[in-house]
This record gives sequence, C-alpha cells and structure tokens, in this order.
Amino acid sequence: MKRTLYIACIALILAGCSDNKRYETAICALADISGTYADQKQDVARIIKAGLIPNLEPGDSLFFITIDSNSYEEENLKFKLNLDYIPSKANDQKLAFATNLDEFAKDQTRSRYTDISGAMMLCADYLRNTGSGNQAMVIFSDMKEELQPGLKRKFRETEFSAMHIAALNVIKLGQDSTNPEIYRKRLSEWEKRIKGSGAESWDTILDASKIPEYVEQLK
Amino acid sequence: MEALYIWPEMPGVSIVVAIVVSMLFLALARTPIHKAFESLSDGTSGGLKKVGEWAKQLADKMRARDRKVLLESGIADAEQKLHEEFIRVESSYGKHLADFPALQRRLDDSISKIEGDFKECGQATPKAPGWNDAVASIAKLQGSSGDRVIEKMLSEIHKSAVEGEKHALAELRNTTSKRHKILSGMAPVWKNVHKLLKDMGDKVSLVLETSKRIDKYMQQFEKVRKGDEDSIDMLSSRANKLFIFSVIIIVIAVFGAFVNFNLIALPMSELVPAGSRVLGMPVSEFSAMVIICLEVMCGIFLMEALGFTNIIPQIALMTRGHRRIIMYASLIFLFLFALAEASLGILREVLAEARSSVNQALAGANATSAEGGGSQFTVIGQATLGFLLPWVLAMVAMPLELLIETSQHIFYKLLIMLVTFFGYLCKILGHLIEYLIKIVIHLYDAYIIIPVQINNMIRGGGKARAS
Repeated sequence: MKRTLYIACIALILAGCSDNKRYETAICALADISGTYADQKQDVARIIKAGLIPNLEPGDSLFFITIDSNSYEEENLKFKLNLDYIPSKANDQKLAFATNLDEFAKDQTRSRYTDISGAMMLCADYLRNTGSGNQAMVIFSDMKEELQPGLKRKFRETEFSAMHIAALNVIKLGQDSTNPEIYRKRLSEWEKRIKGSGAESWDTILDASKIPEYVEQLK
Repeated sequence: MEALYIWPEMPGVSIVVAIVVSMLFLALARTPIHKAFESLSDGTSGGLKKVGEWAKQLADKMRARDRKVLLESGIADAEQKLHEEFIRVESSYGKHLADFPALQRRLDDSISKIEGDFKECGQATPKAPGWNDAVASIAKLQGSSGDRVIEKMLSEIHKSAVEGEKHALAELRNTTSKRHKILSGMAPVWKNVHKLLKDMGDKVSLVLETSKRIDKYMQQFEKVRKGDEDSIDMLSSRANKLFIFSVIIIVIAVFGAFVNFNLIALPMSELVPAGSRVLGMPVSEFSAMVIICLEVMCGIFLMEALGFTNIIPQIALMTRGHRRIIMYASLIFLFLFALAEASLGILREVLAEARSSVNQALAGANATSAEGGGSQFTVIGQATLGFLLPWVLAMVAMPLELLIETSQHIFYKLLIMLVTFFGYLCKILGHLIEYLIKIVIHLYDAYIIIPVQINNMIRGGGKARAS
C-alpha cells in the first residue's frame, strides 16, 4: 500500500513538471522596405525597441523579417532573438538586438515590389517552429501588396492557426487620403484572408503606445 | 392529439367516451391502485424518514465523539497546565525557600543587635535623689545662725552640693547623648529589618499567588473531568475562539509569505533559470516557494525544540541535549536563510535597476538618468525585509499548532451540521411525498366519484330491498 502511495506521489510530481514552451511568447515583426514605407525604417526600429522588446520575458523569442520583392526567403530573416532564462543575460541580448535594429534603420535599401504574403508565410514557419504557447505577428507596412510577376502566394487554411496578427503603423497612401474607403477595404480584405487562414485574431494598431498592452494581452 | 380520438370527426364525443371509460376503469381498479399508492408512499417517504433517522443517529454519534475528544483534549490541556504550574512552583519554591534560611539568619542578627542596643540604652547613671531640696534648705540657713564657722561650713556644703548637682547634670547629659547615639545607630538596623520583612512578604505572596493559580486550574480540571454541559460549552467556545485567532494569524502569515515570495522570486530566476515548470509555475518561482516552506519548517523545529509547541512527539520525547542540538541547527539554518534572503533582496534591486536601465536605453533615453540617490535606501530596505521575514515566518509554528488542534473540533461541528441538515431535509421530503401521494389519492377518488356513488346507490337499494 505504502509503495503504491510513493509511486503515485512520484508520478504526480513528474506529471506536474512541464515544459516552459507553452507559457512563452514568440513574436515575429515584419518590416516593409518597399516603396514609400522604406522611409519608415527608423520609426519601425523605434517602435520595436520601445514597444516590443521591453515586454519580452526570459524564454520569449523575437524574429525580424523584412518585406521586399520576394519575402519568402531565408535571407529576409534579418535577426532573431531567443531570450535567455537568466534575466541579466536576457538584458544583454535585448541591447544587442536593439543595436541590430539601429543598423537596419540606417540601411537605405528599398525593394520594388511588396511581397507581404511571402513574409507572413516565412514568419508563420518560424513561429510554428518555436512551439511557443503564444504566437504573434506584427506587420509594419502600408498593407498594399504588389507581387512580382511569377510569384504565387496562397495561404493554407491552417497557415496562421493559433497566431495573433496585427498591423502596426499602417501609413495611408495618397489614394487612401483621397478616398478612405480604399484604405478600409484594403484592411478588411486582409482581415478576411488572415482569419480565413485560421488566425486567432486580427488587429490594426494605430497608436504605438498601445503595443505593450497588446503584448500583455497575448500573454 | 387527433390520433387519440376514437372518432376523429367527433372530438367532443370521443373525449366524453374516453372520460367515461377511464372513470369506469379507475373505479373498478380503485382498490389495487390505492394499494399501489400506499406502497409508493411507504417506499419513498418511509425510506426518506429512515434515512433522516439514520442521519440523526449519525449526528448524535459524531456529537458524542466530538464531545469525548473535546473533553479528552480539555483534560490533557488542564493536566499540562497543572504540570507546568507544578514545575514553576518547584523551581520557585526551590529558589525562594533556599533564600529563606539566609533571610531568617539576617533577621535574627538584626533583632539581636537591636536587643543589645536596647540593653545598652538601659544602663544609665541614676540621679541622686533629694539633692536639690537639701541644697535649697542649706541655702536658706545661710546668715540666719550668726555663727561664722557654721555659716562657712554650710556655705561650703552648699557650694559642694551645687557643684555635685552640676556634675550630676553633666553626667546625665553625657549619658543621654550616648543613648541617643545608640538609638540613632539602631535606625538602619530597623530599616533592614523592615526590608527583610518586606522581602519575606513578597516571597510569601508569590507563593500564595502560585497556589491560587493551582487552585484555579484544579477547579477547571475538576469541572472538565465531570464532563457537564457547562464545561463542554466552555471547551467548545475556547476551541472556536482559538480557531478564529489562529486562522487570522495564519492568513496574516500567508500575506507575509506572499511578500517574501515576491521579494525572492525575481532574483531566484537569476540563480535557477526557469527552463521548465513544476505544477504550472516556473522552476525559479517554485524554488522561491520551497525556500519559504523550508523557513517555516525550520521555525516549526525551532519552536518544538524550545518547547513552545508540541506538533512532533519525537522531539518532545528527546533528551534536553538532543533538543538543544535541534534548536541550534534550526537557528543556524534560519540565520543562513535570512542571510540568503537579504542577499536576494539586494540582487532583486540590482536586477530591477538593470531592467529599468535597459528599457530606458531601448526607449532612447539616457540610461544614467535612472540612477537616483534613493536607490540605496531601497536596497537597505529590501535587504532588511529579506533578513527579517524568515524569522517572522518561523513564528507561524505556534498558530499552526493551534489551527491543527482546533480544526478537528470545527470540522466535526461542520460535519454534524451538514449531517443534521441532511437528516431534516430527508424527513421533510418524506413528509412532503407522503402528503402529495395522499392528495393524489383524494383527487383520484374525486375523479371517480360518479361511478362510485352510483355503485353505492345500487348497493344501498339492493340492501334496502333485501332487508
């Protein structure tokens, strides 16, 4: 009887031990470097540094992917960050990542076409690979996709399952200010596409100060 | 509905026919249906009543058991108090009565000294009686005899008498001053005697006080031993009071533990990286919780070794030397935990400052601007808190023991209330079902009243004809 009790206790303790992954957060930031949005690089770097990185906890991950003419390429993953479980090391990693972002902000490269879907698919692959419990994608773009001829981009039904997606710092194009309906329609089409691919949520965050709140909600 | 009609084209007739047929059937089946209802009533309400009775008996048994446990614990408590009081009396009597012969001797010495001084005071030279009158008579004779020789002689006698008187007066003054000196020398001895008597009085009143306490405990003991309702009520009320008190203390201690946990959880992540989780919490937080539990455990062992609590009987049965070893070991561990927590408190502040600097650097602000002069106070405050909290948590052993002791009675009380409530509920349900079935039987009889009355009339007519 006692032996059974001991075994049951040990089994209970072992069952109580679990992996940390499902409590961790993985965020993928997509930055548009095509057309007019290429001028926003400094803003993008600033928002990520001030809004996203400080809210990451040890164990969390952050990927930085650029949106260019053909985004579904490994080269588009510019930097990645897997925060160490030791807080002091995690702080050093955050500072190093911030330095990389500063370099990105200084870079003058810009692409001709805008392959948002390809970047999102690449991002989804990396997010899935982390196995984190909370997965999110933040897109810094005007959300106007212009695919290079010959590129095929079709989301699978479960492409973004269990992922939260948000568009940040969406700037209005010339025609958007002439007719806001164009801008709204563009965003609603994206919402339809993304939700149709199994995303948990779709948000458009206009105020950068709301980003910490958004990250908190994810957790 | 129409499918149930015998003649769907004539629903009214169909309903009337159905009612008449059902009346006839129910009237004919009256006796067996009545029996069926009675059986149902007996089965359900009777069963429920029996369950109610059983619950009542169970509650009574539990009450008796609780009463017995209360009495036993009350007797044990009174015995313990008496035992402690006797130990106190033994040590007190041993200490105070040991002083008593010395006090007595000092008192005897003082009294002997007073007696000696008193005797010395009594040894005074008596004054010559009648000298004043004789000298006055001789003084009157001067110049009245006319004889010069006699007058000279008388004058000499007068002179010598006056001188003798002066000498005697001087002697008397001298003796009186000596007596006063002796008497003033007696004053400290009197004071000493007074002090000694006061000391003796204090010691006697202490002993009397202890005796009174013993009397009080003995009365309580006798009362509890009798096991009457008053003593049960007294014990129950005391248990309730102690339970509430211990719960309040434990809740406060839990808040203290929460503060302690928050103080050490963050720095623990620096020492124990939280790569995995135990029972849903990161390993670092789990480790912080384990440290707090270990502090409480050390506190329990310390209180046991000091004899303040009696949770672990093995420690109570140990020799004084072994208990001392446990006491010192617990004290050392608690001290080490307190030191560790103080350093974790400092580390926490360092980490918080580093995090704040990183966030400011990320936000583009000047990182050095965060370094204020007040941070030293925060570090000292956190270190002090970290050092003190383990000692405070160690004290939780005493209310914990109270909680364990009294919760048994409270648990029984709640269980008795539940079982009694269940019993009453069953009885009420039983009665309700019984009356409901009776109502159904009456309604049944009311439904078949027409065929029953016709039957009665036919039977009545037949009997009348027969008679």
